[in-house]
Amino acid sequence: MTRSKRFPYITFTILFIASLVWIYPYFWLLFSSFKPTSEIYTRFWPTKFTLEHYEFIFFMSDKLQRPFVRALLNSIFISVTITFLAVLSSAFFGFALSKLDFKGKKVFFNFVLFQMLFPGFMFIVPLFVLIKNLGLLNTYSAIILPSIISAWGSFMFAQTFKSIPDDYIEAAKIDGANTFWIVTRVMFPLARSTASIVGLFTFIGAWDNFMWPLIVMKDYNKMPLSVLLASFNHEYSSYVGPILAGSVIQTIPMVLIFLIFRKYFLQGISVSLK
Amino acid sequence: MVSKLKKRENYLGWGFSSIYLIYTALFWGYPFVWLVILSFSKWNFFGTPKPVGFRNFVRLFTDPIFWRIFLNTVNFMAYFIPMVLILSMLFALALYKVNVFRTFFALSFLVANVSSGVAYSILFSNLFSESGPLNSFLYKNFGFTVPWFSDPQLALLSIAIMVTWKFVGYYGLILFAGLNAIPKSLYEAAELDGATNWQKFWKITFPLINPALTTVLVFAVNLTFGIFTEPYMITGGGPMRRTLTFMMHIYSTAFQRMNPSYAASLAVITGLLSYGCVLLVRFLVEREVSLV
Repeated sequence: MTRSKRFPYITFTILFIASLVWIYPYFWLLFSSFKPTSEIYTRFWPTKFTLEHYEFIFFMSDKLQRPFVRALLNSIFISVTITFLAVLSSAFFGFALSKLDFKGKKVFFNFVLFQMLFPGFMFIVPLFVLIKNLGLLNTYSAIILPSIISAWGSFMFAQTFKSIPDDYIEAAKIDGANTFWIVTRVMFPLARSTASIVGLFTFIGAWDNFMWPLIVMKDYNKMPLSVLLASFNHEYSSYVGPILAGSVIQTIPMVLIFLIFRKYFLQGISVSLK
Repeated sequence: MVSKLKKRENYLGWGFSSIYLIYTALFWGYPFVWLVILSFSKWNFFGTPKPVGFRNFVRLFTDPIFWRIFLNTVNFMAYFIPMVLILSMLFALALYKVNVFRTFFALSFLVANVSSGVAYSILFSNLFSESGPLNSFLYKNFGFTVPWFSDPQLALLSIAIMVTWKFVGYYGLILFAGLNAIPKSLYEAAELDGATNWQKFWKITFPLINPALTTVLVFAVNLTFGIFTEPYMITGGGPMRRTLTFMMHIYSTAFQRMNPSYAASLAVITGLLSYGCVLLVRFLVEREVSLV
């Protein structure tokens, strides 16, 4: 049966306009960060482009005790550490949950599922008490430690490893591989898309986390960018240009990582566009 | 030999699980216990918590601010859920129908979803500000401006619009995946029987997309109870406490008014409310889908 369908011009046009509307805020933000202050609200296309707001952010903000460059590096350090440790630990726990046979595995697995029932926000106040009792307030550990093991990540890896045949493991064992080798060199490469999904969502979550660092980090030199930007926005709200430039810097890594790993992002919500 | 291997695997498994359990005992179990203790005591971060039974909860349910937040949350859902559901459904249907440039369309909607909470709050507070681009556009073309974030009723709607902007792409693609899972032969059979597009949507698409729809609704409900950054950055909970959320109240109660025990009971109730809401959604919406 052959069906010749007309090209859906109307739908296409509406969708095209809608997608322009949807990315407009991003372009407005990007353009505004390069406009002279007087033209931010008044013109979409400025009379000239300027780097003054970025210069302010990178060179002047230290004098207002808002070290943006430092904050950017803090954010990168915190997010990369969390992502690396969470992905690695999830792979090992996922392996234990799916491929190892031991007494109590079922209970362990059910416990991980049970943990995922509770929304994170319920623990904010008591977790603060813990961090305070451990003497970790105003340290990087306060932000990093609570996120390095992920129930969700372990679950995702377990589900993927389950579908990988045991033969791979047996073959590696015959070649004399130990467990560390099997997980990192045999299983992990086979689960690359899961690793990317877990990594992507963990990174975005860590980079974008705002409430928790706001609570545990009062030291301007160790703040991640999100908190520093928020405090700058509160106290120096008349510096619109630098605030917008800071927002661009805060947004770019997330958008870049998303564009690089978009295939896996779509897999994560099981979409194929072909 | 076999039993020795078996034993080794047992030890290995226990090794892994004990690392996980020790970590979890510290960063999940300990807070969990504290949450329960705190919600039944009075404490201000110093000394030992004093048990007060259910007094926190009694105080909570007689607190007008709690009920204000409850109404705000219901109000937010009344704006947000229909808006995001209809728009993401339209997006999914349009994407399904158009089969060129799909990646471009999907990405331009989805990229909104990876905007950072702080940055996009700053972005929208500028876009929607008194003299911002949106208002000057409205003034030039229609001769009026809208007090997006300063009017008590509009402020919540404006936040709902921002959150909708952020999530339409994500939810739309979940629905799109649902649409793709529906066998094409059903539509062809319906066309042979002379069904209109309208009939095809309500008789085939809508019932069969139920699992994806339930997922989106559950996500949207969970998101509503977790909102913090947007009102914290833009309105500070005002005007007239109309944009105060549970998360903001937990934050300010615990860390500004130094009342962690009351904040803990608030967190427990918020958790129960969001859980109840999810159960309600599943009960009302979720249907067993089967192709006979």
